[in-house]
Parts: sequence; structure tokens; C-alpha cells
Amino acid sequence: MSDSLIDLLLKGTWETIVMTFVSGFFGFLIGLPTGILLFLTRKNQILEQPVLNRTLSVLVNVFRSIPFIILIVWMIPFTRAIVGTSIGVSAALVPLSIGAAPFIARLVENSLLSLPSGLIEAARALGATPFQIVYKVLLPEALPSLINAASITLITLVGYSAMGGAVGAGGLGQVGYQYGYIGYDAVTMNSVLALLVLLVFLIQFVGDRLSKRFDHR
Amino acid sequence: MIELKNVTKTFHQKDRIVAALSDVSLRVPEGKIFGVIGTSGAGKSTLIRCVNLLERPTSGEIIVDGKALMQLSNSELAKERRQIGMIFQHFNLLSSRTVFDNVAFPLELTGTAKSEIKTRVLELLQLVGLAEKANDYPASLSGGQKQRVAIARTLANNPKVLLCDEATSALDPATTRSILNLLKDINKRLNITVLLITHQMEVVKSICDEVAVISHGKLIEQGSVGEIFADPKHELTKEFISSSLHIEIPSVYQEKLQKEDNGNLNPLLKLEMTGKSVNEPVISEVSRLFDTDFKIVSAQMDQAGEVNFGVMLIELSGKRENYDAAIQYFNSKHIKTEILGYV
Repeated sequence: MSDSLIDLLLKGTWETIVMTFVSGFFGFLIGLPTGILLFLTRKNQILEQPVLNRTLSVLVNVFRSIPFIILIVWMIPFTRAIVGTSIGVSAALVPLSIGAAPFIARLVENSLLSLPSGLIEAARALGATPFQIVYKVLLPEALPSLINAASITLITLVGYSAMGGAVGAGGLGQVGYQYGYIGYDAVTMNSVLALLVLLVFLIQFVGDRLSKRFDHR
Repeated sequence: MIELKNVTKTFHQKDRIVAALSDVSLRVPEGKIFGVIGTSGAGKSTLIRCVNLLERPTSGEIIVDGKALMQLSNSELAKERRQIGMIFQHFNLLSSRTVFDNVAFPLELTGTAKSEIKTRVLELLQLVGLAEKANDYPASLSGGQKQRVAIARTLANNPKVLLCDEATSALDPATTRSILNLLKDINKRLNITVLLITHQMEVVKSICDEVAVISHGKLIEQGSVGEIFADPKHELTKEFISSSLHIEIPSVYQEKLQKEDNGNLNPLLKLEMTGKSVNEPVISEVSRLFDTDFKIVSAQMDQAGEVNFGVMLIELSGKRENYDAAIQYFNSKHIKTEILGYV
């Protein structure tokens, strides 16, 4: 393996990691509150709002049904308006975050739904406000499953970012596509694959560890 | 202290309307323990959840400590709920927090200072006898211990009222007794008014001052525990009372029990004492008056308020010609007597 290939792979790996984690962060920034809102506004929940709930739910479903490769292309004007370019890592962050957010929202909603309903009831009986219920009851109690949701999201984002590589997002995806596929180089292709698998395993391993550590049930 | 006036609660289920509570009124005087007993689905859970408006009644009034809760805004209500403690059948502890932090939870909600939280929590854990478990997580506790933590947690706010939603239904009999003793102790020591719902007459019998029976969303009978046990009006109430007294013929007797007296067997009697029964030492009276002897085979006697009640299986012997008179004497003293057979 030549030095230049190693450099290429290192740079690609770093870019993939950046894309995965930064867009994961922004995805959570949008998806977490959305998921909480989806949960709280459901029927028989503390902020029951049928209209808001249905609107949010439709919006989430619409974004979830757009294939990621289409989302990137479709969002180009928006991406350009935000980061000034439509190529490279920072440009890829925009569609990646937007693509991850509705996915995260649903995962968060599901995590919260799986909590025993008695917890909210007890907190209300003790005089907790809705805000206190969210940050003192729901989020800490759901933490182990939220960590699991984060691992799933990050792993999905590894895949999405590789897909983005095909349309100029950078990262391991681009290395694999340009040098491996178009340049027909089996070594590069397989190295990229091995690195992606390693990254996914690592995320899953750390996620499982953390989730277990915070689980006292 | 707690007053419900004509409380009605209806639920919409698809296209029909179900009344969970209809026109329920009750008053719990300060410092008393009031029990509401009913079978599952009778509306008792809805009833207790209406008291702190976890469930909002369709109509009626809820007054706790002089405040009409239905008129309060959400934030006023949250504040008022701190005066109304509540414990649940399934404890509802936060699994992510230690015992200490669970008890500290309500204090955190009101922004109490850390140092104050510490002394208060330790004091409360002492009160419920779990000081040494402060750093454990709820998952490692037994059901009874979890309920003690829940009690400590709800007492942290210094409530004037405590609502118990089937608080002992998930516990075994011995643990149930210890939790009931704790509730009684809290009621006496801290002068907290208690409203509890249950389907177990034992709970009512052992700690309640007053009781109401609920059936199909209506209170069909209420009064002091002594009165209700003495003179139950409704069939359901009678059933609840007799369900708390079950007595079986021991197998040894079961085997030799004969339907007919062949001339030298002794009758096996079942005596039922209710509140109406005369509060006199009737058995020794009968023994003396009719020259008969009694062997107590099995008995379950209890006291509810002023009333002594229970059932007893006795084997009668002695002067055979006086047996009928003895049985009549029992009946005249309102002790229901039945010949189960001859042994």
C-alpha cells in the first residue's frame, strides 16, 4: 500500500468521522426537541395538542420518506444558501443533519413511549411542571434507550455520508467511489470497506457500553 | 380536609359514553384515614385520581384544605399538589436515581438548597427505616422497600393529605401489614389525612376510621368502619366483610364429618359474629346455662373499631338434650349459628 493511498484513507476516515458526528449532533439538536414534542402532544399526554401532533407527524414522515441521495440533490440550493457551497464536507453536513433529524425524532418518541406511564403521573402528583417532567424525569429515565438511539443514528449516518461521497461530499465514500469504483482499484475499495466496518463496530461497542452504564433498571 | 361534591366523570369510548363516577360525594375529616373499597373497575382508581386532578372530573367540586382545586390555574395546581402526597400500586420510582435522589426529587422541584435537601432526605429515610439503602438503586429493593421510598418521597413536601392508590396491592401479606403500620404511624405522628382505595377489606379493617363502598361509579354505602361492619346494608358490603373472614373445616374434621347424627356424635357448629351480635361472653354463658362443652376447632376473630366480629367452628358436647336450646340461645344473641354436620 503506497503512502499516498494511506494519506487518502486517513483523510477520508477523518472526514467521515467529522460528517457522522457533527451531523449527528445537529440532527439531535433538531430531532430531540421534535421527538419530545411529538411525545408530549400525543393523545392523553401532558401537552395534548392533536393538531400540532398530526402536523409534526406528517412533516416527519415526509422527510423520512425522501431517499437520502435525492435529499442531497434536492437540498442543494438551501445548502448553498447556508454554507456557500454544495461540495465538500461542510456542504454535506446540511442534508445529513436534515436527513437524520426526523429519524432521530421518531427514535426519541419511541424511547419516551416505552417509559412506564406511572412515572409522569407520579411526577405530576409531586407538583412537577411539564418542563421539569421533561428534563428531570423523561430524559434521565430514557437515557439508556436514547444512547441506543444515538448509536443507531450514527451508524445510519456513516452509511449516509458514504452515499454522499458519490456526489462530492468527501470522506471514505468518495475515496471508495472515485478510486475504488471508477479507478477500479480493489485494494482501495476493500480498505474503505474495512474502515467503514470498523467504524460501525466501534460506534456500536461504545454505544452499548454507555447505555449499559446508565441503565439501572 | 378533603371534600368531593357531586363528582361525575365520564369517558368517551368510540361512540358511547361511559360514566366512571356518578355523583360521588364524600368528606374526609382532618387527621382521619378514609378507605374506599370496591372491586376492580368500580371506579375507585378514577376517584382517587380526581382528588389531585390527575384526572379532571366532568363536573362537581373538589376541595382540599379549603381550596377548590377545579378553579386553579395549572401553575397554582402544581403548587397545590405538593400539599397532596400520593403513593401508587407500582411505586413509580425513578429507576435512574438512587434512593436518596428519589426522595430528593420533590425538593429539587421546589429549588430547595442542597444542604437542606441532604438533612431532610436523611431524616425521611430514617422515618421509613431505609437509611442504610440511601445509595442503592430502586431495582435492588424489594416491593415493600420501594413503597417505603415512595412514601418518603411523597412526605418530602410535607403534605397535609396522603392519597394511596392500591398502595399495598402488589405486596405480600406480611409486607402489606408493615406498610399499613407505617401509614398509620405517619397519620398519627404527622397528623396527615389519608384517603386510600383498595379492594382488600383487611386494609380497611386494620387502619381505616371511615369507609365507603363503591360500585359501578357510585358510593353505595359509607360510614365509620365500626358501623359498616356492625350493620352492612348492601350485599356487596356484606361480601367484602365475609371475604375478609374465611374459615375452612380442617381436613381431619372434613373426613369424619357425617350428615346425620347417629346418636353419639357431636354437632360441629359455625358461629358468625357480626357487629349486631351481643357483646357478651356468650359462649361461656351457654356452657354454664345448658351444661354443654365447647371445643374450638378453628376461629377467626377480629376487631374493627368498637366492633368484635368473626367466625368460629366449634364442636359441641355435653348434655345432648340441650343442644337445640343452646343453638337457639346463640341465635337470640344475634350470633348466626349453623350446624355443619356431626363428628
